[in-house]
Amino acid sequence: MLKSSLKAATGAACIGLFACMGLASQAQAAANCIDGKRQPPYTLGWANIYSVPTWMKQTEGTIADEVEKLKAAGLVDELVITDAQGDANVQIQQIQSMIDADVDAILLIAGSSTAPARVLEDACSKGIAVINFDSLVDTDKVTAKINTDSNKWGDSAARWLIDKLGGEGKILVLNGPAGISVSDDRRAGANAALAENPGIEILAETNTAYNVAPAQEAVTSLLFAHPEIDGILSLGGALSAGAILAMDKQGRDMVPMTGENARQFLELWKEKGLSSWATMQPNWLGAFAAYIAVKALQGEDIPAFVEVPLPIIDDSNVDEYLARAGDFPADGYIFSPWDEALFADIIAGSK
Amino acid sequence: MSVTSGPASRRLYWPAQMQRNRGVRGLFVVVALFVALYAYLFPGLLTVGGVSKFAQSWFPLALVSMSQALLMLTGGISLSIGATVSLGAVIAATTMTGPLGVVGGLAVVMIAGLAIGAITGVIVVRLRLPAIVVTLAASFIIGGAALLILPRPGGAIPTWFSDLLAGNTPAALILLIVTALLWKVYLATPLGLSLYAAGENPVGAYRGGVPVDIARIAAYAISGLLAVGAGLFVAAQTGSGDPVIGTAFTLNSIAAAVLGGVGFLGGRGTMRGAIAGSLLLSVMINVMFFLGFPPVAQYVAQGLIIIGAVALPEITGRRGPR
Repeated sequence: MLKSSLKAATGAACIGLFACMGLASQAQAAANCIDGKRQPPYTLGWANIYSVPTWMKQTEGTIADEVEKLKAAGLVDELVITDAQGDANVQIQQIQSMIDADVDAILLIAGSSTAPARVLEDACSKGIAVINFDSLVDTDKVTAKINTDSNKWGDSAARWLIDKLGGEGKILVLNGPAGISVSDDRRAGANAALAENPGIEILAETNTAYNVAPAQEAVTSLLFAHPEIDGILSLGGALSAGAILAMDKQGRDMVPMTGENARQFLELWKEKGLSSWATMQPNWLGAFAAYIAVKALQGEDIPAFVEVPLPIIDDSNVDEYLARAGDFPADGYIFSPWDEALFADIIAGSK
Repeated sequence: MSVTSGPASRRLYWPAQMQRNRGVRGLFVVVALFVALYAYLFPGLLTVGGVSKFAQSWFPLALVSMSQALLMLTGGISLSIGATVSLGAVIAATTMTGPLGVVGGLAVVMIAGLAIGAITGVIVVRLRLPAIVVTLAASFIIGGAALLILPRPGGAIPTWFSDLLAGNTPAALILLIVTALLWKVYLATPLGLSLYAAGENPVGAYRGGVPVDIARIAAYAISGLLAVGAGLFVAAQTGSGDPVIGTAFTLNSIAAAVLGGVGFLGGRGTMRGAIAGSLLLSVMINVMFFLGFPPVAQYVAQGLIIIGAVALPEITGRRGPR
């Protein structure tokens, strides 16, 4: 349905022959939304939905770092930052202000998967590069969307755990909040692997916020009910940290466990001698968005969707992550190293 | 009731209006300064397109501020405005592209708003329950209903309708002016006249023959209508429905009304004040953007401006001759 309406829109845009030819010739080279009229140095706008959580602060930090590099290269002169304080309506208003101020690119994590669609289409029609990452908007009128695959997250985690257990064992499944797309998608991703391995028995599942305390509480009560647990399929970093703390308090032996790059989890992993596996939603998606915005403005062909491969942390490289722990906030996320060469590789891989 | 006409009330009308403006005169000055500053920072505001886009950002907040002020004038309050906005948005986004069409969708949205408001009003007024508790509970029910209708953001609004309300025309501004005029008309009706009396001195008003309960229930119903109207507009503006899009409007509507000099105890304040309050909240966001304030400074600046706008009339009022 989306495709047909897109076709209709293109048809409507092709009123004059020249317009059609213009569209056709541009589609070969430039990325979506780019009209080729904007010259460096560019002004980038970072339309943040909420700046308070640590993950957001770290993400903003990577954007600022990348912008410094782009400034040094003479490609960017200013980074404008807004904070919608969690209100999707305010985010729309701030994006409108960015359009009014004629920024060259808008980077955003959307506060609603539908609400910003129209204002972004407006930005796109004015030749502004629109780069959407992490929380995506249901519209094609953006330059590029950047994200990891939550289904793969769940699938890889489940396969690692099943492999570790030799295809047999009793496990707990720790989920994020019910009804949240990230949480639902990660859990759905694990289904195929679990179905293929009937030897794996799910003792219980939890749904808690992505925080240590509620996860610890939930796991504690499950530990009383289940004296024998062989593994824990945790689909969030803070959830894993909570599970370790709960098991440690009761003096239970640690079992293989999956997780995410939360610093607290990685430190407990090492401290308690676990065998674990973790992936991440890298904070450098922000830096990557800034990088892609400038590349697109310079006329480079950027795929409409850039899938970022999930970086993997396991027993073999967790020490490398922990060695850098001091550079990250105590309640933050130790993300994998990034540079522009990595970004270029990912773009090439998405084409 | 023929209280509206007659020489006595005419003589009272204008002095009363001036008296009521006193508290918000300072706010009007602050708002005018901010709008002027915004126009200076962004000259594009003074074009049809600029005014249209700004009015679109402001309009839903203006509507919910009126919705809240209306209740506060009767001595009530609503914590369910945000949820009602969300409900209006999801009803619009799920009905307008269906068999009901735009007109049918509009009707469903309006009926839902009036009904929700009226039911809340009956519970608060007839059962003599505290509005703050009833509307808090209502916010869960209404918010839940919005999530049942549309569990995930989606739905659609016909493009022509979105363009009509939130395209490059000042439709939102015109609608706001019409709504404000309708409010004036309502105030001239017996129910409208009863509104302030019911809020300021319900017992006295009741003994004086004012239909206090009906006036307050009507206020809740109209308040519900204004809130779903804001939701409808947000749906048109965004071209879709989101079951939690309205959440922030509850607090912002109270902030705008209080900024506008509307008191919590009823009977005190004006609708023009509430509208000016909402304009200040809205224009402030854009002014701080164009001033290039970093987000952290924006939090601080917002707080200072709000305190300043509330304090200014107090300061000038004390020094004034009256």
